[in-house]
Amino acid sequence: MVGRDSVEPLAVNVCKAFTLGIDVPSRKMETHTCRLMPRSAPLFAALLTLPFVAISTARGDAAAELASFSVFPKVDLAQLSKGDAKPVRGGSAGPRYLSVQTVYVAPFPPAELLAKMRGWNPARHPELKVYLHIDSGTNFSALQNAPDNSAVRYLTNATSQRSSDLQLSAAEMKLLPGENFASVWTKILSGRAQSGISSQPPYDNTTPPVRPGEELNGLLGSQEKIRKQFSGLLSGGKSGMYWELLSVDEQGVLTLGTFSSRTGGGGTIQTANTRYYASGGYYAGVTLHQLWPVQVEGRASTLVWRGDMISSASVASLRGIERIAAESTMIKDISRVVSFFRRDTGSVR
Amino acid sequence: MKKSLRLLGLSLALVATHSFAEMLEAPVDDGDIDPLAFEFDFHGSFIGGADVKRQTLEITDFTEQNYLGRVLILPRTKVGILRLGAEYEIYDFDLPAGVQVPNRLQSAALIIGLDTKLSDSLLVRVEAKPGYYSGRDFEGQDFNVPFIMGGTYLYSSTLQFVFGIAVDLEAQYPVLPGGGFRWKFAPQWVLNATAPTPRLEYEVNRALTLYAGADIRWKNFRVDNDFVGDPGDPGDLNNAILSYSEIRTGGGVIWKIGEACKLTVEGGYLPYREFDYHRTNVRYESEGGAPYGSISLRASF
Repeated sequence: MVGRDSVEPLAVNVCKAFTLGIDVPSRKMETHTCRLMPRSAPLFAALLTLPFVAISTARGDAAAELASFSVFPKVDLAQLSKGDAKPVRGGSAGPRYLSVQTVYVAPFPPAELLAKMRGWNPARHPELKVYLHIDSGTNFSALQNAPDNSAVRYLTNATSQRSSDLQLSAAEMKLLPGENFASVWTKILSGRAQSGISSQPPYDNTTPPVRPGEELNGLLGSQEKIRKQFSGLLSGGKSGMYWELLSVDEQGVLTLGTFSSRTGGGGTIQTANTRYYASGGYYAGVTLHQLWPVQVEGRASTLVWRGDMISSASVASLRGIERIAAESTMIKDISRVVSFFRRDTGSVR
Repeated sequence: MKKSLRLLGLSLALVATHSFAEMLEAPVDDGDIDPLAFEFDFHGSFIGGADVKRQTLEITDFTEQNYLGRVLILPRTKVGILRLGAEYEIYDFDLPAGVQVPNRLQSAALIIGLDTKLSDSLLVRVEAKPGYYSGRDFEGQDFNVPFIMGGTYLYSSTLQFVFGIAVDLEAQYPVLPGGGFRWKFAPQWVLNATAPTPRLEYEVNRALTLYAGADIRWKNFRVDNDFVGDPGDPGDLNNAILSYSEIRTGGGVIWKIGEACKLTVEGGYLPYREFDYHRTNVRYESEGGAPYGSISLRASF
């Protein structure tokens, strides 16, 4: 386990390094840096907030860094390694937003865990109601063999009836109903996949029209500490595209996403799973992971932080009790997903 | 987990509008959003001519107007979400003079409650409505404090169970259990089998929902001290406790106006109503039903 004792001397060293123009690893270290910096160096202070400081090294105190941007002020790695994941409400500063944060320990190093994350397919679990998961942003041929169930039939009917519930642009609405379900959605999804996240056409069926890219910015902007922590990854990093056919609240939804990852110093890894288009159910969503290498009982392990954020029209109308019920439901859903992943990948000790 | 996030059914339709069906919530202290919310409700209904009868005594062809207004402030605290507000409800009956049923029943009460959660699956509500439950005039002896306690078990985003009790010491049965379940069993269908408003709902689209079901109403009032009704039979009804109950069955349309407002228009048939002075064994029951129509507006900010 990375001990807390290692933080202080490292921070001082980093401060010295920074004055020579070398990168600063973590927010924890920022605190010390600021304290030690001469008053005549305001520029340095400004630079400390730049994105590139976000990824920490394994030499830092993982738990302290976790505390610096998450809702987990304190974690006991030994306890976490023996127990279930701990999803909790993540806090969200937007009427349409919900977020959940989860922390757990996986019994293998970050690189191995990342490989397992890349290989895991939720469609293997009928309970999760992910009917298709395809790692491609160009091949939508699986739509021709979409499963026949009530959720998919709902989407098929909505398509043929040009339902205003579909989140499409005005130009895409003109494509409906199209030759058939597969062909029309192949056109729509291909076009959106080519557009990229920031240039996604708006959902013109909503009032006012919603731009998924702006929703993603809003989600991350509403959680400044997390945005800073992941800004390096979100502004770059290797990414791959995928699409899914799934059920949201028993209604079929087609979604487009990207998965990106970035390795930091000391074996830390960050990942971002960005759902930048959904035909219904929600506007946009993002799942972030931060993986720290830690030693637990002498074994190379990973401290995992997961943050799920979603923007949904349905959430916007919820107040008080109903909103918390939705948050609780999201926590349960995330908990279920994490449990399946950990069970499938042997992440449970 | 690159993929997944089979996101949330969001159980977004924990929509029931009455006590048991609303029992949800959670204590969160990172109140970075919605530290304060407001709810406004207005409901108005008209019930056509109908009769009630007690043995040989009959009151014929009278109509009813019912209005309810409620305002709630919902501050989020460390222990949960408080429910603080006020409610006024009135039942006006178009009755001839001298009958044993008052032509007005009304209540004005504060609302003091708490929604909190015991776990991510179990949300609870405690709510009291101290106030005056009266006939035409509000009098000190009309003061009463009915309250409810209950919870919702969130089994999944598509299935929830609701349970609880309603306590009213002035009632014939001071403690009444209630509850049910809400099940989204198909993409556009929800069976909201929760007392007192069991419903089958069909979501036409994001903004429009149709439903059919029942509304079981039950409330206790103390009639005025100068209310005599028919003094000869069976005796003095002044200051008596009157339990008024009615069952409405019908269908309606819920129109979601923007993110904050819902307008509901409902129509149907009232098959049963009862005026019960349960402490003096004077009870008038419906003799045939009546059509009704209602309109409701709820705004949340």
